[in-house]
Amino acid sequence: MDQKTIISTENLVKTYKDNGMEAKAVRGISLEITSGEFTAVVGPSGSGKTTFLNLISGLDTPTKGTVMINNKLISEMKGKELSDFRRDNIGFVFQSYNLIPVLTVEENIEYIMLLQNVPKSERHERVIKILEEVGLSGLETRRPTQLSGGQQQRVAIARAMVSNPTLILADEPTANLDSEMGSELLKMMKVLNETTGMTFLFSTHDEMIMDRARRLITLKDGLVKTDEIR
Amino acid sequence: MIILKIAFRNIFRQKRRSILTALSMFGGFFLSAFFIGFSDGSYNTIISMFTSNNLGHIQIHENTYLDKPSLYKTINNYEEVLQKLAEIKGVKSYSPRIFSAGIVSVGDKSSGARIFGVDQSKEIKTTNFDKKIIKGKVFSGEEAYEVIIGEGLSKILKAEIGEELVVISQGADGSIANDAYKITGISKSGNEIEDRVTMYLPLKVAQELLVLEGRVHEIAITVGNLNSVNKINELVSKKINSEEIEAVPWQVFAKSFYDAMQADVAGMWVMLVIIMFVVAIGVLNTVLMSVLERRREYGLLKAMGTKPKDIIKLILTEINILAFICIILGSVAGFGINLLLSKHGIAMPEPITYGGMKFQYMTSEVNLRSFLIPAVIVFVSATIVGFFPALKAAKTDPAKAMRTH
Ligand SMILES: Nc1ncnc2c1ncn2[C@@H]1O[C@H](COP(=O)(O)OP(=O)(O)OP(=O)(O)O)[C@@H](O)[C@H]1O
Ligand SMILES: [Mg+2]
Repeated sequence: MDQKTIISTENLVKTYKDNGMEAKAVRGISLEITSGEFTAVVGPSGSGKTTFLNLISGLDTPTKGTVMINNKLISEMKGKELSDFRRDNIGFVFQSYNLIPVLTVEENIEYIMLLQNVPKSERHERVIKILEEVGLSGLETRRPTQLSGGQQQRVAIARAMVSNPTLILADEPTANLDSEMGSELLKMMKVLNETTGMTFLFSTHDEMIMDRARRLITLKDGLVKTDEIR
Repeated sequence: MIILKIAFRNIFRQKRRSILTALSMFGGFFLSAFFIGFSDGSYNTIISMFTSNNLGHIQIHENTYLDKPSLYKTINNYEEVLQKLAEIKGVKSYSPRIFSAGIVSVGDKSSGARIFGVDQSKEIKTTNFDKKIIKGKVFSGEEAYEVIIGEGLSKILKAEIGEELVVISQGADGSIANDAYKITGISKSGNEIEDRVTMYLPLKVAQELLVLEGRVHEIAITVGNLNSVNKINELVSKKINSEEIEAVPWQVFAKSFYDAMQADVAGMWVMLVIIMFVVAIGVLNTVLMSVLERRREYGLLKAMGTKPKDIIKLILTEINILAFICIILGSVAGFGINLLLSKHGIAMPEPITYGGMKFQYMTSEVNLRSFLIPAVIVFVSATIVGFFPALKAAKTDPAKAMRTH
């Protein structure tokens, strides 16, 4: 596994302005994440975890500072360029509501490949393969409402991974799951990280889950408090 | 493709909302279809009521007669014209007429009167002449020295059936026209003022009295289908092909009536605009709610790289699928009600008797525009109104929408 830098942020600042009130969500974060890492971002509520992840993914734009992904300056990208870059390079997993309710498991996983114009037969092959990897073989025709919360999050991870992005970003992927399901999900993510070498960056509140991370970045008041590799 | 799939399934997922949206579209379609069908139907009923009483749908006169009627402005080759009319498809009936005025007396009572010379058998086909006779009989023959007088005139003259009526008028040659006829019937046209001055003579007899042998003032024509009046009028004009006489449709010779009807039609359009607003508000309401509720779905779609224009497409597709379904269902229902009301009609609070015909029902009509106009109304108002929520959805900021708090 080569150790090339995948994410690099430089003095990243995000200030929200709400009716004249300023909220400094991220106050200057500079760090690098290398390929194949399995990193957790932790910190109390309001410490800026979600904001930080959104800045890296380009869902949000920084007030100051830069974000580079794969040596591309995404903090300067806009519109179609940004959304195409995001689609092709970053897989998302949100805390909840990751799936389009009216689409089946297969159709949800397929969606991004459809936007990428991947041919039908290849799409199906990849869906079957990734479902096997996340342990949901045979559920491709189910609707999200027919799945447990843990299964839904696995589908979300499958969806995020299926188009082989550079990076998987997951914002509190286990927060809506009970601790057993949460730790199962994380175990699976780690296995996927080890077998595929894909880079994972996720945030969490959960102590047990933090322990599984190989690198732990702790945020406090929008700044990095500790950054340890274990 | 996938957008279409999502749109389709969303309609069935949000059943209650879809039904609400659909109800306003369906209701709008149905109401518009009904209004148009009924308005067109009663429009035609009223026109036929008005025209078939005695005007006809098309009239032929000497060129300048309508501007300034005169005893001397006649159609001189009318027998020939009648033959030509018989050959035109779409012409249902026609009736030649002579008009003049004179003084009439019965015993020692006298009054002014308008003299109508009518070809009885043709007049019956054209204006139900026989149904106007409320007492007595129609003429016993085309050349009988008989007269039918209006109910009002009979009262003024205190005249009874069988009595003799004397007419004094002026002949076309300048002579004094003067003769006596037996009263054989009393008529009622539905217009009381008219009935106080009306008297009918057989056409031949009137021609003789007024020294207008072989000539008439007017030929009234009725057509099979009122909607084709203008087309048939053209055919008639072409066929008679004359510099001295002309054919005009009812819209011209009954212009003030036509204008009043146009005002009525304008009323229908106002109604349609109101319906359009109601549809628009109903659709806006539910679509806006749905868009607000589904913010996360749009956020997710955008986070995955869906283009804003595809999100607009998604929402408009959902609306248009619903509109399409509503238009189909609405067409069936609209067709049903218009067909039913074209057969049975809606009873008027009080039946109107006019020209010997009793109008008891207002009927609808089944026609193409009673489907096309509502379809356009529903599609246009739903699409326009759906566009704003769609734009709002397309602008969803995924970072904000996906935040859990
Ligand atoms: N859109 C916004 N407008 C104003 N302030 C915001 C906005 N989004 C976040 N904030 C503020 O920025 C700060 C950081 O929020 P953020 O959501 O990044 O924290 P977090 O670490 O993810 O918290 P949690 O663990 O509760 O998810 C908070 O004080 C929050 O109130
Ligand atoms: Mg958060």
